[in-house]
Order: sequence, then C-alpha cells, then structure tokens
Amino acid sequence: MSLLELRNISMDFGGLRAIDSLSLSIDEGQILGLIGPNGAGKSTAFNCVAGVYRPTSGEIWFDGANITGAKPWDLCRAGLARTFQIVKPFASKTVLYNVMVGAFARTDKTDEAEAIALDILKSLHLDHKKDFKSGALTIADRKRLEIARAMATKPKLLLLDEVMAGLRPTEVDEMIDVFRTVRDSGVTIFVIEHIMRAIMALSDELVVIQFGRKISEGKPEAVAKDENVIKAYLGDEYVAS
Amino acid sequence: MTPQSFKKTGLALLVLTALALPLILRSPTYLHILIMLYLYAYMTTTWNLVGGFAGVLPLGHSVFVGIGAYTSTVLWLQWGISPWIGMLVGGCLAGFVAYLIGKPTLKMRGAYFALATMAFVEGVRVIVENVDQLGPFKLNGPRGLNIPPLPAGEGSLLAFQFATKEPYYYIILFMLMGVVYLTWRLSRSKLGYSLSAGGEEPEAAEALGVNVAKCKVTAMVLSAFLTALAGTFLAQMTLFIYPKSVLTLDLSFELAFIALIGGRGSLAGPIIGALMLRPVTEFSRIYLSATLPGMHLILLGVILIVVMLYQPRGLSEPLTRLFNRLQDRICSTKTGGAK
Repeated sequence: MSLLELRNISMDFGGLRAIDSLSLSIDEGQILGLIGPNGAGKSTAFNCVAGVYRPTSGEIWFDGANITGAKPWDLCRAGLARTFQIVKPFASKTVLYNVMVGAFARTDKTDEAEAIALDILKSLHLDHKKDFKSGALTIADRKRLEIARAMATKPKLLLLDEVMAGLRPTEVDEMIDVFRTVRDSGVTIFVIEHIMRAIMALSDELVVIQFGRKISEGKPEAVAKDENVIKAYLGDEYVAS
Repeated sequence: MTPQSFKKTGLALLVLTALALPLILRSPTYLHILIMLYLYAYMTTTWNLVGGFAGVLPLGHSVFVGIGAYTSTVLWLQWGISPWIGMLVGGCLAGFVAYLIGKPTLKMRGAYFALATMAFVEGVRVIVENVDQLGPFKLNGPRGLNIPPLPAGEGSLLAFQFATKEPYYYIILFMLMGVVYLTWRLSRSKLGYSLSAGGEEPEAAEALGVNVAKCKVTAMVLSAFLTALAGTFLAQMTLFIYPKSVLTLDLSFELAFIALIGGRGSLAGPIIGALMLRPVTEFSRIYLSATLPGMHLILLGVILIVVMLYQPRGLSEPLTRLFNRLQDRICSTKTGGAK
C-alpha cells in the first residue's frame, strides 16, 4: 500500500510551470530518491508535499487522506516530517531544546518530551552534544540535528532535502548510517540528494525529474542506464548509440 | 553546597529581603519608588511573554494598561463594583482586544507588527481623549477620571484603597512574584518551547508541528490579561487616570526599553532592567521635569544605545555569567573543604 501518492500535481509561479503533472507514489518502508538537475523542481515538489505551497492542480494523498493544501503543522501531526535544505536550527538554544520542540508534537508534558528527545539523540549518536548551543555545531552535526528534530515528531514519512550537501566523504558515510537507522525504525523516507554515491546506495526506487516533468523511474541501476537521464545530466553526446 | 541549593538560598534571601524592606524603609517616598519599580518590573515581565519569548516587538502594551485602569475605575465610579472585580473584568476585556489586534497583526514580521501596535494605541488614545461618554460609560475625555479618596487615614480592602503605602507594596510584590513564577513555568512548558522556536525560526517550527501564529496569539492574550491587572493597580495607586497617563506611547516604549536593556526573553531581564532604569526615570522626573521635561526618555535612549552596542542581548546575560562564576566558586570551595 502506498503511503504517499502524488496525483498529477502541477505548480505554477506566475507564468513559470515549476512542476508539470508529476505523479509518483512511495510504499511503506521504502526509501524513494528524487533526483534531477539543478532547477528541475525537486524542492518545489517537496514544498508542495510539506504544505509550504499549495499545488496549482492535482492531489496529494498521505496515509489514506487527501492532504492537498494542508498546513505544515497539521501535516507534522499526521506523521509527515521534513528537514530543510538550508538548515534552520534554533541557534540560541541547546541541541536538546531543539529536539524537544519536535518531541512536543506528540506530547504535552515536558518530562515526556525530554525523554523522547534523549532517546532520539542517543540513536543518532548526538547525545554527548545535547547541551551544546545548536548555533555552535559543525555543519554535519547541524544536519544530523535537523534529522533528530524531525524524528522526534515520530513521523511515518520523513522528507529529507539534501541533507548530505556540503558534507565530507566520511561524513557522508556516517549520514548513510543515519538513514539506515531511520529506515530500520520503520520510517518511510522520501529523499532529494545530489550525491549520487549516496543515493544509489540508499534508494529502493528512484524518480528523475527535469523541467518539472518525470523523465524516468525505477530501480537505481536501471535509472542510471536510462538514455533520458544521461541526456539530462550530461548532454546528448554522451548517450551511447 | 550544591548549585541547586545555592540558587534556592539566593532566591529565598531575595524574597525575604523584599518582604522585610518596608519594615526598615519607613519613608513613603522611597516606598513609592520601590512600588513603581515593582510595577514596571511586573508590566515588563508580562510584556516579555510576547516581546521576549514570541520574538516580536509589541510597542503598544499601554493600551492594555489603559483598558485595565479605565475598566475598573468606570465600574467603581458608576456602579460601585469593587476594583478587584473590575481588575478581572479589565483583564478579560484586554485579552479580548488583544485577540482582535493579534489575530491579523501577529502574522506580520518585524517592524510591521511594532508599527501596527503603535498605531493602535495612538488610535485608542485619540478616541478616549475626544469622547466624554461612550455608551453608558463616562470616560470624561482628556480630563480623565478621579477616584474620590476615602477619608484621610482610612483604608478599605474592598475599595482597593489604603491609608499607607505598605499594602500597595505587598500587593504589587505578590503580583510580581506570581507573574515571574508563571513565566518560569511557561518557559518550561510546551507553549514556551513552541513560542521560542516560532520566534527564532518560524518555518522550522511549523514543520515541527507548531502552529506559530496561534501560539503567538495565545501569548498575546495572556500577556494582555496580565498587563491590564497592572492598569487597575496603577489607577488605585494614583487615584487619577487620564489618557496621557495610561494610554501613551511613552509607557509602551518604556516597557520595551526596560526589557531590551535588561534582557529580552530572560526571566531576570525585566527585573534587572527595572532596577536599572526606574531610578533614572524617577530622579530625572523629580529633578529635571521643570527644566527638561521628557529628559528621562532621552536618558533611556542613550542607555539603550550603549547597552545594545556592548551587550546586545541585554544586561541579564553578563550578570548571569557573573552569578554562575560566583556559584561555582562557592560550591567548589565548600566541597573542597569537605575533602
């Protein structure tokens, strides 16, 4: 059964069509990767799902309900969490505080929220930094914190927007481990990523978009050989004839 | 001695000192200055619920002071309803008004919200100044309302009037302690976390399930309710209110000044700020009001500029650091001695 389904969504900004009747679906427990060249509309698609934009047309279904145009905070309570491409920590607050804000999505009690937050921090190996000011963290830790905060809301589906961008190769490996931890805890993942090594290793399915249109989908190995994809990324002359 | 018990001892000493002060300090003038200091600390603490935690800059809180003062006074003068009841009615009315202004304006960012609140308080002041009779309520326009004092030497709890300063001192002290405790509880609650998060990174907070706009409106209503209580207190203290005394931008600005200098969003900030600035205001009014009226606002401005240059988060931050260092030293010497 698919957890998230995009049915023919389109998004216009004035005269610009950023997404053009895009359809895709994610099954429960899957990791689905969304890739495409710069400006293809990946983040716009994410923002439509996360409730930042209301798609111009089409419907989005999550967990058996139509969530088109629902507000971000309602989506979060329904079990859909996200991270931001440009990290947005509550910089003046500690790491624990940051994660507790997320944990409050599931409880009204402060001590329960703290317990949830500490659990999440431990599972993501951030617990030794819980009292650090989040503004003082390294970029890798800030990205990890973004995921920890989102996980604290106990989501069914996690949208990850380029959490590996700007990381060193060793940090990318650590982040891949984080992804696996998240998936093994039963959370479905929808991910945008530019680092091919990571997304090829992680995704069960890939969807490739260009100019807001889907040009390919399937298993990572199959997609990598798809002519359309090679054309989109490298140009016509690289297609083996 | 553990840091915990050190903090508790410090707090207990502070409260005891505050409780005992009127026994030592017999001069009504000094008591009056202290009462005003507590009153401003109280109003700034309630301001801080919105201005500090929610991360917006309300510059119109005097409208709530005015609503509180006018409501209880009108009810007392026209119907003889005890100011204590009027206080609660005023609080509820202020909360309702806060909802009406907060709902559309709290969606605005930064300076726009500040401007909207300023415009509102000015609008209300001009209306009250030009209206003698609002429906059944006698407002008396710019002449304001006089509360006839009880015969000399008499006091009445029901009438919220006392012959000496001491009862006023204890009432406002308990109000201040209550509101500080409330703020402390709030800062550790879901609403407190949500407000701080929404004030700092609204988009991220919303993605984490926080309805930022709703939280801000809730904080604004709560803040307005509590601020209006101070309005009634002020009216009963001075027994004379007029639009320029309780509905002015001066008062709104002063609350913001105190909070910014003391430390926005911190528990001790409003108290430290009031402790620093009230004497400046009081003494410049006593000594300079004849020659340089309004001088206190210039002085506050200068202090604000200096503090913002060197301690942009207000004075509570360096003072907290100092306190922590003291605590560490005392706690470590005590345990060192036990070894």
